[in-house]
Amino acid sequence: MAKISIRNVHKNYGALNVLKPFSLEIEDGEFVVLVGPSGCGKSTMLKILAGLEPATGGSIFIGDRDVTDLAPGDRDIAMVFQNYALYPHLTVRQNIGFGLKMRGTPKAEMEQRIEDAARILEVTSYLDRRPKELSGGQRQRVALGRAIVRQPQAFLMDEPLSNLDAKLRVHMRAEIGALHRRIGTTTVYVTHDQIEAMTMAQRVVIMRDGEIQQIAPPDVLFEKPDNLFVAGFIGSPGMNFMEAEVSGGDAPHVRLFEQDVPLEGARPPAGPIIAGLRPEHLSLGAGPVTFTVRPTLVESLGSEKYIYFDAGSQKRVVGHAEDEAARGMIARVDHSGPLAAGEEVTLSFDPARLYLFDAQTEKAIRP
Amino acid sequence: MTRTFNQSLMLYLGVIATLALILFPIYWLFITAISTSAELSALPPSFWPADAQWEIFARVWEARPIPTWLMNSMIAALGSVALSMVVSVFAGYALSRYQLRGGHALGLFILTAKMLPATLLVIPLFAVFRNLGLIGSMWTLVIAHSTLIVPFATWMLKGYFDTIPRELEQAAMVDGCSPMGAMVRVVLPIATPGLAATALYAFVLSWADYAYARTFLVNAQDNWTANLGITTMKGEYVTDWNEISAAAVFVAVPVIIIYLFLERYLVGGLTAGAEK
Repeated sequence: MAKISIRNVHKNYGALNVLKPFSLEIEDGEFVVLVGPSGCGKSTMLKILAGLEPATGGSIFIGDRDVTDLAPGDRDIAMVFQNYALYPHLTVRQNIGFGLKMRGTPKAEMEQRIEDAARILEVTSYLDRRPKELSGGQRQRVALGRAIVRQPQAFLMDEPLSNLDAKLRVHMRAEIGALHRRIGTTTVYVTHDQIEAMTMAQRVVIMRDGEIQQIAPPDVLFEKPDNLFVAGFIGSPGMNFMEAEVSGGDAPHVRLFEQDVPLEGARPPAGPIIAGLRPEHLSLGAGPVTFTVRPTLVESLGSEKYIYFDAGSQKRVVGHAEDEAARGMIARVDHSGPLAAGEEVTLSFDPARLYLFDAQTEKAIRP
Repeated sequence: MTRTFNQSLMLYLGVIATLALILFPIYWLFITAISTSAELSALPPSFWPADAQWEIFARVWEARPIPTWLMNSMIAALGSVALSMVVSVFAGYALSRYQLRGGHALGLFILTAKMLPATLLVIPLFAVFRNLGLIGSMWTLVIAHSTLIVPFATWMLKGYFDTIPRELEQAAMVDGCSPMGAMVRVVLPIATPGLAATALYAFVLSWADYAYARTFLVNAQDNWTANLGITTMKGEYVTDWNEISAAAVFVAVPVIIIYLFLERYLVGGLTAGAEK
């Protein structure tokens, strides 16, 4: 186990800048998730970290070793791939033992370590099968076994769960988390799924267009997003964004739902801003700021409902990542009674829950 | 999908008609070998000789240097397969995996060599081999056949390598292999069906050659291949078609045997990429 230090790593393809200078210190034993939409550079960063792609510049340290120019096999890392990348011509036992064999591990020790890894991942009963005879979940376990058997300095995981069905994904998510707690190896995990990022990570690195947007623990990302992109990317359904005007000098207020909503804490200068409101921060019935809407659609998820509505004259800003944004504003309310589209509904929110963003830079405006 | 009786009937009739078309020359070759000369010239021809001359095979085997010819054909074919496979595996792998400047154009250029007829290449090859003092040597066939095989084999193998996910080599490299090690330990074993199909194609191409052997080896009787040898059995005044056919059967047998052994790989190799 070791800490990983990524210093100013960047990557260009000719004039195309796919990864802007990227710096990150990962603590020994930490579980860091790189997340972002496709094409954001997260997989490129992981491949550079693994040594599978050269960086244009910058340096990488694993432990105290500068591995920037080392071959993948000399970096003492293990990688789990999206499509598992199990060797189809080898048995599960040979797949798990491949890396040990390449490093000339004595046969008896190799057998022992394969057995140990197989026991941890519960794949002992099919050690002599070939990958094609296994289910998706079993293959995923073998891929993990191949990683842990080497006892490397770090695990790199490239969307390891995205080929699994939804139920198995939730299960394996918990297993990978448990595995990390058990063996404590430094892990860098890449995904496009914000729920995976939020549930597994100790720290999340959100990326977009080759650039880091924010590095923070999951709860901080959710509560204090640095910019509009992070605010829209984290949370499901995504945050509602509205164009609004700030006025009022010493007692600033923002015009929302045809009301002057007083701003507490943050004091943005007068002028246009973007206001954000999470769907779960809207409630049914009267509250500090109350307004009525006619829902265009009501989705029931049993104990809670998603209420979609048009915000009237309020101009909506379409977020970056969530396609729900295209369907109007959303309120997520706890309610099991009847609620129909087209009928008037009273909603309210607490102005303290508002997120404010600069209309030009899209950066968060905080107190 | 289940077939109706009529669909099955059509299918089987189609298969039988195709098989008849393909197998008829082989059948006729065999019949010609075991028929008497009188029967061969009879009209209408008979489809099975009344008096089958089975001893023809033993007679030809002893009277003519068939074993030597077959051995020479085998040496030329295996030599061409070995040389062209080594070249094509590396070339196909590089074209599949590495982004080279002008790599695609280079790949297409390799293929243009395949578009030239073999007879056109005989003259320049003859000049080259004469200058190297190779005329009459088995090397002429190994090299000349490889020039025909390599372009096609390179593309066949490139296509096969394209179907193998890159992540497998990346996993192997993370596990400690060099790029070459990843190719040898992971990619080539997985590509076995493609390699087998390509090697068989190369073998048959060399085995079936006549023009090059006739040009380069005609004065080196010890190095005659089977195809070249058989043509010398045609006399100026009298030609014994039984003997020629019997010798031709001997030439066909090795290829048929190899096909039977590799059939399992071939089907996999030729349909590569057809399924995810």
